Amino acid sequence: MSARIAITLAWLCAIGAVVFLLSPLLVIAAASFSPTPVFDLPVGGASLRWYARIGALDGFWPALSLSLQLALLSTALSLVLGTLAAIALARGKLPGAQAIATALVSPLMMPGLVLGIALLQYFRAIGFNATWSALLVAHVVVTLPYVARTMIAGMVRFDFTLMEAARTLGCTYAQAIRRVMIPALAPSFLIAGLFSFLASFDNYPVSIFLTDVRTKTLPIKMLQYIDEAPDPTLAALSTLILIATIVLLLASDRLVGLHRMAGTGD
Amino acid sequence: MAPGAPHLVVRQVSKRFGAAHVLDRVDLTIARGELVTLLGPSGCGKTTLLRLIAGLESPDAGSVELAGRDITRVPPHRRNVGVVFQSYALFPHLTVYGNVAFGLKSRGRSRGEIDAAVGRALSLVHLEHLGARRIAALSGGQQQRVALARAIAVEPDVLLFDEALSALDRKLREEMQVELRRLLREVGATAIFVTHDQDEALTMSDRVAVMFAGRIEQVDEPRIVYARPATLFTLGFVGLSTRVSGIVAGSNNGRVEVDTAVGRLSAIGNFLIGSPVVVAVRPEHVRAAPETAGNCVAGRVRSIVFHGSNSLVEVDAGAATTLLAQIPNDVSAPPRVGDEIRLCWPVAETFAFPMPEAGA
Repeated sequence: MSARIAITLAWLCAIGAVVFLLSPLLVIAAASFSPTPVFDLPVGGASLRWYARIGALDGFWPALSLSLQLALLSTALSLVLGTLAAIALARGKLPGAQAIATALVSPLMMPGLVLGIALLQYFRAIGFNATWSALLVAHVVVTLPYVARTMIAGMVRFDFTLMEAARTLGCTYAQAIRRVMIPALAPSFLIAGLFSFLASFDNYPVSIFLTDVRTKTLPIKMLQYIDEAPDPTLAALSTLILIATIVLLLASDRLVGLHRMAGTGD
Repeated sequence: MAPGAPHLVVRQVSKRFGAAHVLDRVDLTIARGELVTLLGPSGCGKTTLLRLIAGLESPDAGSVELAGRDITRVPPHRRNVGVVFQSYALFPHLTVYGNVAFGLKSRGRSRGEIDAAVGRALSLVHLEHLGARRIAALSGGQQQRVALARAIAVEPDVLLFDEALSALDRKLREEMQVELRRLLREVGATAIFVTHDQDEALTMSDRVAVMFAGRIEQVDEPRIVYARPATLFTLGFVGLSTRVSGIVAGSNNGRVEVDTAVGRLSAIGNFLIGSPVVVAVRPEHVRAAPETAGNCVAGRVRSIVFHGSNSLVEVDAGAATTLLAQIPNDVSAPPRVGDEIRLCWPVAETFAFPMPEAGA
């Protein structure tokens, strides 16, 4: 009997949490169709006028372009670095491999603000002033933990006897990597890349310390729009980003399964 | 090449990992079409020897020849060997067909050739209907067969099995032993099995190479390895035996008289008088009968283990000596625990080995 009560309570908590977490998203999405220039629920008629105005926002296209560049490039760099690090940590008999792995993942546990200030001070100290490059390096720091964590898990599970099997079947070591290791680890690459891209694309606390007047990422630009002219254009933009994210997640789920992305086993 | 001519020749091969001599000047010659087992405890070097033949390790000294070609320094992808791994090492991202076709694609065969060869290999292992299956959807026994088909499909000069049957449960393993032997005979394959399972070695192979501490102790037909072990290690590793240590008191024409804690025993062997030796006999030669010839020892039955057609009887002969006797269960008065019993066995089945040095 008490077990049934516990299960009921657990369900109520879960439902409550989901409602609490998702309702702001629903409100934003609804508000984006509002016919009036205030954040309001679209009572008595929907409108797409705010969607049409996204492109006309001051500095929107450069900000979107910068965010996409940073997300794509930092993800690509992190994938290469993180995969190499994962091979070394999973295969090599490095002293302190566990400590290195923890250090690689540590930016994940650090408040973004601390990371941002630390990077700003460090870049100043070494005279690294190029905004775009500084942002890219910072985003690699932010995204590398996601890639490293996923790739280390993938490498530990990867059976390196497969490489030996491929070599006895006529592959050179390089061909074995291409024909066996990369395809066998494809789900790990996809998951790592996806999380890395999302972590970079919506990063605010680290980027805010490294941008300048002309070089602003999309999240920073959006906060600026809110300050300047709070109308439902932002709700429309948020809804579009939300939809793009859901499409990405659904596509990945079709390819590898969402339960593996959440890290709840395979 | 004429049948029986050397096909695989391992010559004076040594391999060290750090300070450990994993292989110590190993020689092994295998004829075309022969099935040979490397048998030994873990750490004896059998897997390393197999990996050297596959090219996954390279020797510190010595050479390996396969089909008339020195392959000592040839990388694995240019040797024509097939390996069945203990974990099977099937490619999880490919189907059964993709796995079996893998080696053929590496060799640049045409699509038609690949289709035909994969079909042949899969039908040999009775999996022709599962080509489109994913690896994860197969049972352990089926995965084993796919691994075998993948190795056979490229028609290798030699097939290497690294504990390939050990992951199967006992019943399936015994079935596979018989089927694998038949299949390898059918395709005329030369094969080397690595195992620590003596039953597998005795069942599957034309010859057994017993390995210990990086050396091959004996290479012979299974029945000779069992009935005429060349060393004390082989005797102890393959089958059961009673062993009694003693000192040679008399030696004559290939026969020695040995003084032991349980009396004087006669054995086959050539030793100087005064040499420390170990005298041994297999339990199936020991009889509980009032015989007059041969070696006889009296004792008290300590335990009896029933094995169906016979029982294994442990007899305490005093002086910290235990005798093993395999007594048929058709005798009218089977021994009971606690009985005083007299055991005798023929001298011709009694071996004498040099006493191993302390610490060995």
